[in-house]
Amino acid sequence: MAEIVSQGPPVSQPSEPRLVSAYRAFTVNHPLVAYAARRFGIYLFTLWGSITITFFFFRLIPGNPIDAYIQNLQTAQQNYSVHASQATVQYYKQVFGLNGNLFEQYYHYMYQLFVQHNLGPSLLNYPTPSQFVIARALPWTIGLLGTATVIMWVLGVVLGALIGWKRDKAVSEFWTYVTIALSHIPYYFVALILVFLLSYRLNLLPSSAAYDPGYSIGLSMGFIKSVLQHAILPAISIIIIGVASWMVGTRMLLVPMLGEDFLTFAEAKGLKPRHILTRYAMRNCWLPQVIGLGISLGSIFNGNIIVEQLFNYPGVGNLFVQAIGQLDYNTIMGIVELAIFGVLTANLILDLLMPALDPRVKYWK
Amino acid sequence: MAVRQQALEDNKSAAGTPLLDVRDLRVYYNTVSGVSRAVDGVDLSVRRGEILGIAGESGSGKSTLTTALLRLTKPPGFIAGGSIIFHSRDGELVDLMKVSEAQMRSYRWRNLSYLPQGSMNSLNPVMRISDQFEDVIRAHSDRSTQEIRDIVPELLRQVGLEPHVAKMYPHELSGGMKQRVIIAMAVALNSDLVVADEPTTALDVHIQRVVIQTLGALRDNFGMTVILVTHDMAVHAELADRVAVMYAGSIVEVGDVRQIFKDPKHPYTKGLIGSIPRIGGERRRLSGIQGNTPSPTNWPSGCRFHPRCPYVMDVCPREVPRLLPIRDGQARQKPLVACHLYTEVQAESGGRDGGQ
Repeated sequence: MAEIVSQGPPVSQPSEPRLVSAYRAFTVNHPLVAYAARRFGIYLFTLWGSITITFFFFRLIPGNPIDAYIQNLQTAQQNYSVHASQATVQYYKQVFGLNGNLFEQYYHYMYQLFVQHNLGPSLLNYPTPSQFVIARALPWTIGLLGTATVIMWVLGVVLGALIGWKRDKAVSEFWTYVTIALSHIPYYFVALILVFLLSYRLNLLPSSAAYDPGYSIGLSMGFIKSVLQHAILPAISIIIIGVASWMVGTRMLLVPMLGEDFLTFAEAKGLKPRHILTRYAMRNCWLPQVIGLGISLGSIFNGNIIVEQLFNYPGVGNLFVQAIGQLDYNTIMGIVELAIFGVLTANLILDLLMPALDPRVKYWK
Repeated sequence: MAVRQQALEDNKSAAGTPLLDVRDLRVYYNTVSGVSRAVDGVDLSVRRGEILGIAGESGSGKSTLTTALLRLTKPPGFIAGGSIIFHSRDGELVDLMKVSEAQMRSYRWRNLSYLPQGSMNSLNPVMRISDQFEDVIRAHSDRSTQEIRDIVPELLRQVGLEPHVAKMYPHELSGGMKQRVIIAMAVALNSDLVVADEPTTALDVHIQRVVIQTLGALRDNFGMTVILVTHDMAVHAELADRVAVMYAGSIVEVGDVRQIFKDPKHPYTKGLIGSIPRIGGERRRLSGIQGNTPSPTNWPSGCRFHPRCPYVMDVCPREVPRLLPIRDGQARQKPLVACHLYTEVQAESGGRDGGQ
């Protein structure tokens, strides 16, 4: 039987198209380039997909912002004319890209976004295009949240590593419980307490706005001082809780590490405890924290709505709330797209950096 | 390299002089069911240039003893007492139990290095092998990065590894390769003593052989001293010069490897040797030892082996036998035995001098 089988016609491999085999050869010869290219392709696709979904999602909101807007104008100006208002509505619909059916609107929007790099006029500040409205709010948000995120990450990881490393000491046990408790308190609660104590009772720090309106925006010492003073309360209220969460996370990652053989061995090598903690213990468990930092930094672009509202901070979060109130499609879309862009880009960078951070990580075959 | 050569010559000329004297070492663990006296009164002497095997069944305290030798005991374990006198190369005597943590750090690896039981996971997964060499060499000497980069391939070659291993990460190496990388680290600083805890466990027989040969070469080529801890009697037969047999937290017999295998003195050693199957010769039943290992939270009174001992006498449950040298016609070294059978009849005066 075996002979008969072996004498059968040779099983022919289905021949691949030349392009496919060329691609295969390339991925084998340049694994890193192929991986980065594939990852970048996925990134672009996800970006497009999420923008598309957001577009249709917001168009599903009932109510036409232009009608509402015109109505307001007309009642304000008291010159009601059916004919004139028809023409006006038509004009604004044209400007805001609300003409035609949903797919025509989609085409118009995507053309405007990707070819003209324009989000369209904002309603909040007509006729300024939305991207300028957002760009005005963005520095405040990035300044406040970016700095706060970095500060709380560094503090949280360092302190978390310390309380994990000295986990037998009563002091670190105490701080472990404190941080676990703190990490479950909503930060706006802390913000309210801080505002009440430091602002209303002691009158030490301002509780509202980003700077003293007495100063004009510029690089003067007075302005910078005012900006820092105004940022302290919102920043601290985020940082306190943020540090506690990062500490709990870091400690949880480090403690199971401490039983590892390579730490005992590092001690047997006669290395200094600090050296063992940083280069042996932390290097092996901080990867989730690095990823967490990247994602946190990527997700600051939509602002922190609660804190910015609470402190009346002129950031993106505040702008977002105003835009939703006015049904300002273009600004809402712009902010959501910015947030999507931030998170996706952070993920892309992390994915590309990962093999450098941990040699055991390999994405390509 | 000249300095290194000189150090090797010094090692060889110092062979036979005392290196480590362990006296009445006790390492206990706090457990829910009371204090577990895992190592309870160990006396041991190590001489330069020898391979001293420590044999014993699971739970006899072998691993606890090795970590305590380097003061690496971790909670809930603690060192309850005793002394470890280290004889440095220039004749200084240091009690490792009394020195400060910083001083102990400087002795670790420069003088006492350690091949851990779980060598598989003993290297830092996120550092290249060469960087791990650099770490340990830098901690104990003032060599430059370039010098270290230059000597690492040579060190790897001495344990039979390719130079390119230096650029690799631990997960790219096999178990035997990792084990040899650690041995090479011990060679790097020319440690006086290498304490190898179960160096062949979890390796296949081929790699076991390679590791055994590498360990043997440490002594033969570099004049290093090795304490070899394993329950595998075959490894002792192959490598050790002297064997110390541990039972229930203390040493019951120390002797020349031939004497231990051919003419064991202590009833426990007799049982241990009798339980090794032999190839060839006439067929016989393996004798083995009756009963089970006692619990370290509650050792038997007197001689801890008495409940299982076939030669048990009236004195055994009452008095703890001391580890004493006994007369033995054939052996080069007088074997040390802790057993009333010998204290009654043959023991010489002089007491616990550790086999000199």
